[in-house]
Formats: sequence, structure tokens, C-alpha cells
Amino acid sequence: MTLETVGFWVVAVVLLASSLAVVLTPNLFHAVLYLAAALVATGVVFLMLEQPFLFAVQLLLYAGGVVTIVVFAIMLTEKLVGERIRQTSRHLVNGAIVAAAVFVGIAGFLLRAPLVTLRPGLEADATISIGRALVGPFAITLELLGVLLVTALLGALYFARSEE
Amino acid sequence: MIGLSSYLVLAALVFSIGLFGVLTRRNAVGILLGIELMLNAVNINLVAFARYNGDLTGLIFTLFTISITVAEVAVGLAIVIAIFRVRRTVEADRLDLLRG
Amino acid sequence: MTLNVGLPLLVLAMPLVSFVLLAIVGPLRRTGRGAGLVSIAAIATSCAAAVFVWTQGFVAERTWSWIPADGGPVATVGVLVDSISNAMLVLVTLVSLLVQIYSLAYLGDERPAALGRYYTYQSLFVFSMLGLVLAPGFLQMFIFWELVGLCSYLLIGFWYERPAAARAAVKAFWITKLGDVGFIVGIVLLWSATGTFEFTELFEKAQANALAVPGLAAIMCLIYLGAVGKSAQFPLHVWLPDAMEGPTPVSALIHAATMVTAGVYMVTRTEPLFALVPGVLTLIAWVGAFTALLAATMACVEGDIKRVLAYSTVSQLGYMMAAAGSGAAPAGFLHLLTHGLFKALLFLAAGAVIHAVGTNDIFRMGGLFRAMPQTAIVFVVGTLALAGVPPLAGFFSKEAVLGGVWEAHLTGPFLMLALTALLTAFYMFRVVFVTFFGRAHAGGHPHEAPWAMRGPLWLLAALTLVVGIRLAMHGVEAAEEAPPGWLPPFSVGLALAGGALAWAMYQRGAIDPARVSAVLAPLDYLARRRYGLDALYAGLYRGIILGFSRLIGWIDRYFVDGILNALTALTLRAGDALRHIQSGRAQDYVYGVAFGVLLLFVWAQLWR
Repeated sequence: MTLETVGFWVVAVVLLASSLAVVLTPNLFHAVLYLAAALVATGVVFLMLEQPFLFAVQLLLYAGGVVTIVVFAIMLTEKLVGERIRQTSRHLVNGAIVAAAVFVGIAGFLLRAPLVTLRPGLEADATISIGRALVGPFAITLELLGVLLVTALLGALYFARSEE
Repeated sequence: MIGLSSYLVLAALVFSIGLFGVLTRRNAVGILLGIELMLNAVNINLVAFARYNGDLTGLIFTLFTISITVAEVAVGLAIVIAIFRVRRTVEADRLDLLRG
Repeated sequence: MTLNVGLPLLVLAMPLVSFVLLAIVGPLRRTGRGAGLVSIAAIATSCAAAVFVWTQGFVAERTWSWIPADGGPVATVGVLVDSISNAMLVLVTLVSLLVQIYSLAYLGDERPAALGRYYTYQSLFVFSMLGLVLAPGFLQMFIFWELVGLCSYLLIGFWYERPAAARAAVKAFWITKLGDVGFIVGIVLLWSATGTFEFTELFEKAQANALAVPGLAAIMCLIYLGAVGKSAQFPLHVWLPDAMEGPTPVSALIHAATMVTAGVYMVTRTEPLFALVPGVLTLIAWVGAFTALLAATMACVEGDIKRVLAYSTVSQLGYMMAAAGSGAAPAGFLHLLTHGLFKALLFLAAGAVIHAVGTNDIFRMGGLFRAMPQTAIVFVVGTLALAGVPPLAGFFSKEAVLGGVWEAHLTGPFLMLALTALLTAFYMFRVVFVTFFGRAHAGGHPHEAPWAMRGPLWLLAALTLVVGIRLAMHGVEAAEEAPPGWLPPFSVGLALAGGALAWAMYQRGAIDPARVSAVLAPLDYLARRRYGLDALYAGLYRGIILGFSRLIGWIDRYFVDGILNALTALTLRAGDALRHIQSGRAQDYVYGVAFGVLLLFVWAQLWR
């Protein structure tokens, strides 16, 4: 039982538990907080995969940005409606069955595929390589991403403006 | 031994849980949280593959996915707020204008 | 174009011109008498040309390709001019001309529009009949055959407001159509075996013994079926008595002299082909003789003057067919010509009587000799000709027929024909005595017919006499061998015996008709009911055809419509059911996506 194994299992349990909490808890606000936890756990998974850069990005953008946005949204909608938003779910069983079926399907494929078990050695610092790749082969994609972000910004602004 | 398949199965589980959330949550924001989980699972998949196959591409894609997800969440929530302003309701069940 | 082709074409074309003119130019047609004059003028021209062609003895053949194909046209139209066609040309045009003149007076009370319609149909009929006569091949003959049948339908049903007339027209059409089916099947089979419709080519092949086609007997039998229908042979004779619902001139023209003889003409024309299948010829002879006898028995008990003449026509057609079947086709053809003359005469005279008295029933007439002596005289002339009394034309042709049947050693048919001759004389003189002699108790005020009607009558009577005398002088060229010496006195004796019997029963009252019918009760019963054939046909029609159509109607309503209705109901219900998929809720659509993904998984697994 190596450290790596233990760490993996701990992170896995945390991730799964917080994910379940996200989808099951009745209180929406709590759900957001559990989501934050899940996102942080995912970041730790990235760390376990020896990608510190991505860990940082995950924390910054996801756990920081997305969660903040959602919290604001909840506060705004809660304010509009005027009462605490109670979150009840419907048709739990149907959803569970379908989700389970999808999982079984994916897992079926996974467990039959010949997948590597050993990690190849790390060659260079991933961050530098990512940076080089972004302005190299993936430059156009990067520019497009910028365009997308501008578009999203404009869209959000448009939607958020108050009615004249 | 923690192989690639372990990470993939983990990701699959998170994905399924996110799907469950999308299917069952009544609040629109709750549905968006489920979507977040699903996208998260995808990211785990990408990074795992990138690490175990020694390919950089997966990491690049993860970055892009994260960025796009952020944009999508922003716009999505803006739409939700706009709908709430008009329809004064939270529930996804009541947003059925496309009914045939 | 040479004269021997051009003139027959002129004969053919004039009635067509008249028909087209009358059909298209409505105002002309609706003048009634004007239309009649146009038609009469056209046919007079035709008649003159036909007489010229006949006396000059033109012989020609000319065809034009109609349906072209590699290796010769599939179908041609044209004219085939020879002695028998020339004789028919004269007969058809002459009788048509006389009938049309007669109709001006007979149908003078009709509305002008109806009269115009009548003459339009008459023109079409003459054209069709001439086209049939001049046909150089089976195909053209069949086309005009059908056209003639159509005209018969139109003219029988001329007074279409009368239900009896309409029914009679339809019956005529149906029954002859039965025969026509056989005819066309036979024609097509013959064509598929030999590759040609044309008579001259077929006759050449027959001569060269190149017509050894399997089933030729069956084919010729089928072709004969057409003649059975058209010439009212047993068992397809039932339409002719009912066809008397049409105006009398129509009966005179179509159902005595021309259309019904088309079958005999066809058999005569294609005699080289029939000669290859002697079995069929024997059949034709037997059927003809039997028809003759059957019809004669029915005529003996008939009270309607036109029906008597109709049965008489059926009987005489049987004579002609029997002659053709005995290999004495020229004798049969001669009888066709003479019969055309005196039967038309008889019909027209009967028409004059009906026109004057207002009824067809002979037992409501009587003593008309005093009121209409001329009509009576020509009627008696016709009767004598029909009975076969020399020196009138009927005697020579009937003797030729009997001689031909005797020479072919067909004893059965010969005996039947002899008995028929006796009966013919009997029933005709019966009509004469009851109608023209005896006590007068006819209603109305019978008077002599106008000249437009009397003229044709005298002309026909004169022709009967003249033709008879000519035949007596030149001998009958048609006979191949001289008939047995005892035949002429034998046939005259039959005629006189029949006449004497009629005189005894109806004029003198020496023998009571009622007692005779009591003695012959079963035969009398059957004859009065037309041997149940009409009832049989009616029953078949109702049972099979109407029953079948009712079945089809039921299938159409419940199966075909049912399937359609079920489909539409299914569509509507499916639409109602499927509407629930479109709930408008996004989560339900995600369910759909998830199901799709699962299906993809399953499919991919199965594909491994």
C-alpha cells in the first residue's frame, strides 16, 4: 500500500462524496459549496497526476471563478423570488437508473480496453511545454478562445443589463 | 496499483453523478451544477490520458475546456437571471415554452 | 389511285362524311329533316358508286400501314374488293338508302333533334358496315365489327326514355360482346401463330399448307364465336327478338339485312381458313340448322309481328350458317343477299302496318287488306319469297342451301332445315292470314302508308321478283354441282304444305289452333317461354355478374376503405401518442440524449 495508492483513494472518496452531495442536497447554496469542494478535489487529482500548473488553473478558474459566479447567481435569483430556494428533486429513481446505466456502459468499455498502467517518465517541465504549445501549434485555437471569451462577455453583459 | 483505468473509472463515476444531477434537479442553477461536474470529469479524463500516454495535447485541451466552461457558465447564468426576471419562476418544469 | 380502289373508297367515304358533318355541325343535325336529306344524299351517292363497282366487277386490294414495325407493319387498313364484297356493298347501300327514305315518313313525328340523332347514327352505321365489308384483314374487320355493334346499341336504344328499349340495347351489347371476346382471342391467337392479320396472306399460307398451327381448330372455333354472337346463332340468339324495341326501319336495316349478316359474311370471307378444320365446319352446320329450327318453333307461337320477323331472321341466319358449314358458302351468301331484300321488305311493310294501326299484336289486327291493299300485296310477296315459292328469289337461294347441305351428306341438319322450311311457310302465312284477312277488328283508322314508305316497299318487292327471275334464267351460279332432281319439288312442296296448314288453321278455321297447341303442349309451353334461355341468361347475369359486383363493392367498402381508414386512424393516434415526447422541458430531452448514448453503447458492444 504505497502512499500514492492511499492518496488516490482518499482523494477519490472526497471527490465522490462531494459530487453526490452536490446533486442530492436540497439546499442550493450548500450544493454550490459542495461543488467547490469537488473542484478542489479534482485539482488534487491533477496534482497526483503531476500537473501542478493545471492544479493552479483549476483552483483559480473553477474553484475561484465559477463558484463565485454561481453564488452570485443564486443570490440574485433568490432575491428576486424573495425566499430561500428550496431544492427538491423529482424522479430520482429514473435518473438514478439512467445514470447508472451510462456508467455501466462506459465502465464496460473501459475495463475491456487495454490501458497502460505504468507512467512514462516526465521529460520536461510541463508548464513550459504548454506555454510553447499554446503559441506554437495551438496558436489559432488560443486566438479563437479569446474571441469566444469576448463573445461571452458581451453576451453576459447584454443579458445582465437592466430593462430600460 | 493506480493505473490509467482507475482515473478513468473515477472520472466515469463523477460523470454519472453529474448526469444524475442534470436529470433530477428542478432548479435551473442546480442543473448547471450538474453540468459542471460532468465537465470536470472530462477534464480528469483528459489529464489522465495526457499523463499516461506522454502526450501534451491532453493538457492543452484541458486548459481550453476550463476556459470554455467558465464562459459557458457566465452566459448560462446570465440567461437564467434574464428568464427569472420575466417568468418569475425557478423551476425547470415551468420552462416549457417549446411544448409541442 | 386507280378507279377500282378509288370508287370503293368513295362508297366508304360518303357515309363517313355525312356522319362527321352531322355529328359536328349541331344546328344542321337539329333540323331533323335537313339531317335526313344530307344522309340520304350521301348514301345515294354511295349506292350509285357501289352499283357501278359491282356491275364492272372490280377486283382490287390496297392497304396502308397503320402500326409500323420492323419487318412489315403490324397492322394495316385498307380495302379488299372482290365479288362478294361488291355484292355486299350494293346490298348495304341500297337497303340503307331505302330505309333512310322510309324513315323520313316513319319517324316524321319525332322531335327534329332526335331525328337528327337518328340519321347521324344511321350514317355511322353504314360507314361501319361498309368498312367491315371492305376489310382486308381481321384487325380492321374487328374494329368495324365493334363499331357496328355500337351503332346497333345506339339505334336499338333510340327511344332511350323507354326502359324496355334501354334494356334491350344493353342486352344486345352484352350478348354480342360475349361472342366478340371469343372473336378477338381467336384473332390474336391466329396472329401470334402466323404473324399476320391480312386475309390474302393467310389464304396463301392455307393454300401452301403452311398453316399447320397447333390448335387451329380451337382458334377457328373462337373466331366462329364472334359470328355466333353477331349472327344470333344458338345460344347467343336471345338479343335479336328484344332488339325489336328499336324503330322498325332500324330492325329492317340492321337486324335483317346488314349487321346480323356480318357473321355470315365473315365466315364466308374466311372460308379458306375454315376449310382447314372440317370439324368446326360441321359444328357450324349443326348449330346453324338447330338455330333455324329452334327459332322457327318460337315464331309459330309469337303474337308480335316484329318478333315473328325477328325469329324468322334468326332462323334464316341459321340457314346461311348451315350452308357455310356444309362447304356451300356461295349458297349461303346468295341466301344472304336475297334474304336481305325480302326480309327488309317484310320489316318495312310490317312497319307500315304498325304505323297505321298503332299496335304490334297481330291478334289485334285483321282484315287490313281492305284498308291497305298495297302494303298487303308487298307483304305477301315477301312472304312467298321467304317461304321459298318460285319464281321469287327466296326459292332459288333456299334450294341452293338445301342442296349444299344435302351434297355434304349432313343428314341431321338437312332434316332440321327441311322441317324449318315447312314451319317458315306456316308461321309466315299465319301472320298474313291473321293480319290482312279475316275479321277486321283493328283499332284506329288504318290507312295506306305515305309514298315515302310505299316507294321503298314496291322497289324491294320488284327487286325480289326481278332477282328471282334472273336467277331462274341464268341458273344459280353458286351451286357447284346440280342439286338432286327431287329437291326443287320437295322444297316447293314444303312451302305449299306449310301455307296450306296455316290457311286451314287461321283462315278457314278448319283446325283449331288451340287444340293443336294442346296436342303439342310441352313444345308449345317451351316455345312460348323461349325455351327458358332468356331466364337462364338473366339468372346468370343476376347471379354471377351482379353478385360479383356486389362482392367487389363490399370488398371496396370494407377492405380497401377499411385499410385507408385504419391507416388514418393509426396516424392520428400515433401523433397523439408521440406528442408527449415534446414536453418542452429540457431535462426530458437530456433523458432522450442519455437513452441515445445507451443505445450507442449497446450497438457498439454488439458490433464487436
